[in-house]
Amino acid sequence: MALPLIILTLLATVACTPLLDRLLGRSAGWPIAAVFAALAAVVGLQAPTVLGEGGAVEFFVPWMPTIDVGLHLRMDATSWLFSMLVLGVGALIMAYSTRYFPAGRRTGFYALMTSFAAAMVGLVVADDVVLMFVFWELTTICSFYLIGLSGESANRAAVRTFLLTALGGLALLAAVVLLMVEAGTSRLSVILAETDWQANPTWSAVVALLLIVAGFTKSAQFPFHYWLPDAMAASTPVSAYLHAAAMVKAGIYLLMRFTPIFGDFPLWNTVLITTGLITAVIGAVFALQRHDLKELLAYSTVSQLGFLVAVIGVGTPYALTAAAVHTLAHALFKSSLFMLMGVIDTQNGTRDIRRLHGLRTTMPVTAVLMTLAALSMAGVPPLLGFVSKESLFAAFLEAPGPSWAGALAGTVAVGAAALTFAYAYRMVQGAFGGPPGEARRGEASTAYLLAPALAASGGLVLGLTVPLLNPLVDQVVLETTSEPGHGGLALWHGLNSPLFMSLLAIAIGTVLAWRRLSVDRGLDRRLFPVKGTAVFEELHSLVISVGARIGNLTRTDAPAPYLGTVMVVVSGLAAVVVLSGPTLPALNGETTRPMDWLLVALVLVAVIAVVITRSRLAAVALTGIAGFAVALWFLFLGGFDLALTQLLVEILTVVVAVLVLRRLPRKFHPVSRRRGAVAAVVAIAAGTAAALAAFALTGRRELSPAADYFLRNAEEETGGSNVVNTILVDFRALDTLGELTVLAIAGLIIIAVLDSSSLSHGNLPEKVSGFARNAVFSARENSLIMRTVGRALSPVLVVWSAYLLLRGHNAPGGGFIAALVGGAGFALAYLTAWDARRAPIHLPYALISALGIVVATGTGLLGYVDESFLRPLHVDIPYPGGYYHFTTALLFDIGVYLAVVGVLLTTLNRLGTEDDIHAETRPLGPDDDPPDDGEPPAGPHDDTSPVHEPTTTGGAR
Amino acid sequence: MTLALTIGILVTGGVYLLLQRGMVRIVLGFVLLSHAVNLLLLSSGVTSRRDAPLMDRADPATAADPLPQAFVLTAIVIAFAITIYMFTLAVARTDDDTEDPS
Repeated sequence: MALPLIILTLLATVACTPLLDRLLGRSAGWPIAAVFAALAAVVGLQAPTVLGEGGAVEFFVPWMPTIDVGLHLRMDATSWLFSMLVLGVGALIMAYSTRYFPAGRRTGFYALMTSFAAAMVGLVVADDVVLMFVFWELTTICSFYLIGLSGESANRAAVRTFLLTALGGLALLAAVVLLMVEAGTSRLSVILAETDWQANPTWSAVVALLLIVAGFTKSAQFPFHYWLPDAMAASTPVSAYLHAAAMVKAGIYLLMRFTPIFGDFPLWNTVLITTGLITAVIGAVFALQRHDLKELLAYSTVSQLGFLVAVIGVGTPYALTAAAVHTLAHALFKSSLFMLMGVIDTQNGTRDIRRLHGLRTTMPVTAVLMTLAALSMAGVPPLLGFVSKESLFAAFLEAPGPSWAGALAGTVAVGAAALTFAYAYRMVQGAFGGPPGEARRGEASTAYLLAPALAASGGLVLGLTVPLLNPLVDQVVLETTSEPGHGGLALWHGLNSPLFMSLLAIAIGTVLAWRRLSVDRGLDRRLFPVKGTAVFEELHSLVISVGARIGNLTRTDAPAPYLGTVMVVVSGLAAVVVLSGPTLPALNGETTRPMDWLLVALVLVAVIAVVITRSRLAAVALTGIAGFAVALWFLFLGGFDLALTQLLVEILTVVVAVLVLRRLPRKFHPVSRRRGAVAAVVAIAAGTAAALAAFALTGRRELSPAADYFLRNAEEETGGSNVVNTILVDFRALDTLGELTVLAIAGLIIIAVLDSSSLSHGNLPEKVSGFARNAVFSARENSLIMRTVGRALSPVLVVWSAYLLLRGHNAPGGGFIAALVGGAGFALAYLTAWDARRAPIHLPYALISALGIVVATGTGLLGYVDESFLRPLHVDIPYPGGYYHFTTALLFDIGVYLAVVGVLLTTLNRLGTEDDIHAETRPLGPDDDPPDDGEPPAGPHDDTSPVHEPTTTGGAR
Repeated sequence: MTLALTIGILVTGGVYLLLQRGMVRIVLGFVLLSHAVNLLLLSSGVTSRRDAPLMDRADPATAADPLPQAFVLTAIVIAFAITIYMFTLAVARTDDDTEDPS
């Protein structure tokens, strides 16, 4: 239970951050640090099982059982090490953040850092490759937001980091898929232990390369190394966490995790060792070149990660020992160095070593701590960094391959270590050496220095007591190489080659430090012809422009060519099928009845008229006639609900169309005769194809088993006798829920479109100007009958719509139809208002749609009471003389009702308003609404107003 | 046969309007096409059975296929939502012209 507990506690902490932040401001970091520390203790408590007995803590809940992917969590020694780092270093950084930031609220920071920790812990304990991939991507997303927190200037860096690490994520996804295909399971421990990866070398090589790309992008290996310094745009606590324990360590973890499979593949060895050592050297050289302490540290991380990757590539027990110890040592010294760099920065207002000097007198504690951490990084005894560096050397000497490989790797490693020593010195000397200087704000407070002090002294304490780490490291070695560890971690191994290599590195480093002025001069130039970020931006814009060029081949602003192409292709396909002369099964029963011909004729007349007319109003009315004919068709085919729905939809479509048409020219745009002919040919081809397909492919089979099941069992199972309605709200409610969401989104899009581009004013004034004195166009007098009728009819419509809603389960009706009736009521109320701005609809329409989805989803969740999402519950409520059968399907239908009504209200309100030019002349509040029989106020429809000049804009006529 | 003819007529009209200039005619074309598709969905059931599937009065042996009806009911409402959205687009700027004036 410990594993899900850790992740869930972190997530709960994320949820609490807004509250903590409100109460404590930046000090919210203290309770969060306490949570992290407590969780680290929980991880620590697993040590007897994980390290002592060599077992693993496991947890499982099913997730996607049909494809055999589960929430498998598993903590072995490797996971234990990384979890400890994530939580321990996380606790330190949370504590540090309380003093690093200026007083104020930091909700986003704490929430994201805690989410980041949750994602990292999830990643290292995931025992399912799909789950691991999910957590991997979560770390990418969290880091994107964390870098982006630093504001405008960090945006590009955040995007670059995201795209690069997401690229690695894609590689990991591909690897995950290949692993699952080959191993037949997504269970990581099974994939690692029980699959024969030697059997199919090509396959394994591809998987290995994909994993390498994933690991390299995450762990900033050459040539992807540039993102890490680029991500320096983030604030110092973020960088400290990213560099020391999270994010970049994810790549290291991934490579260590897959060592059991690939550790003895020459490809794996070569790529990892070569790239790792190259990265180690160039990272160190760049670090030696930098003046900004933060940048220097960033390149130092690149270099140290290079060491780690290279040593994992060696793949021997010694190498994995070194990898484990160096991961730990690096986490300690790098987190403390970053935190101390932040201290120097806040106390001095700069972190540039050209402007800092002699801080040893004013910031003595910081000086001591930073020296301690730097010595560990430089690999000086008796610090943990010395032990880890020594084991790195020992490992490199036994690099696989030809006999000279070990010697070469060892030599390069010594060189990189010497450079490490030099830049460590450069950093300490730059800040604390030189003539005594004044820190602008003096030494930092104890609370501020607490976390870096713990991390820095951790390196010393663990260095002195290094044999304590043997059980951990040996277990990691056993898991990653299947060979027992040698248990040989110690400060003193006697006179051997690693010791001499260490001494040599320190000696060369000392010389470099001694001659640092010449070194500075020598390095004070561009070492590479290109910058990584510049290359990235080039590639990025190249991809975009190539995409644009490809798109331009077919791009046009007019929709007709796109639509026409589709129609022509479909008709062509139909022609091919017809020419191939298929044999058709016999028609099933009487599919044609004499009365049907009436409808064919009606539709034909309506469609011909729509096509011919040039008047917009006529076209809308004629389309409505076609719609009514279709509604009749539904009725003929036994779809009462459909016919009702179609009728209502036709009415409402006409209402909306009229709202739209008054803003547009009266006539359609003219099109050339030739174009009309082409369109006619395409249309007739498409229509013929559709008719043939409908004739040939339908009406030739028996009732489907599903339909038969619904007809025979729906009433018994749901208590509703209207089978169509039971399908909507009981059997296929998830489809309906999806549909509601579409509806609500359509409403939102309408709002968004009209918010971003105002309504066309089109022909509004024209109508008024031309006919204002004509009684026919006097809105107020003419709406009298409508108003009178509407007043009586509206309540009837509301009651009727409620009635339709309630009876929907058993008779024609239901949420859709009821909502459309209700919507018709609103439309009536709207139309009877003589001035659009007096429309009596002042309801929060977007909220109503949203409420509809909430109600429907809530009903769905209620279904979990009885087994599954959206499963309806049934209760019989007694009343005198019988029972009322209540089912939660009714609640669901109410959700449907609300969503549909919300969209209708949105449309009426948004399209119906006289937005606008008039509103400014005479703003209208709800209070000054005159009674219906009052005099119409001067203003909007006053024909003396200058805005009512006749216009001739808007299309040819 | 009659249903197939109706579908053919609606598709012809719909496609013709889709290929015209101006958003309103495109929307009307879309409306006709959606009618055609709804009828096509219904015809995929068993159109020789035409009794309303209201089981308190219909016989399971002759009642119409309820499954396509449920699909069409949702389709009608979604098509309606998209129609009003497209109508909104028609007036979201100055005119509903979809092509450069020629």
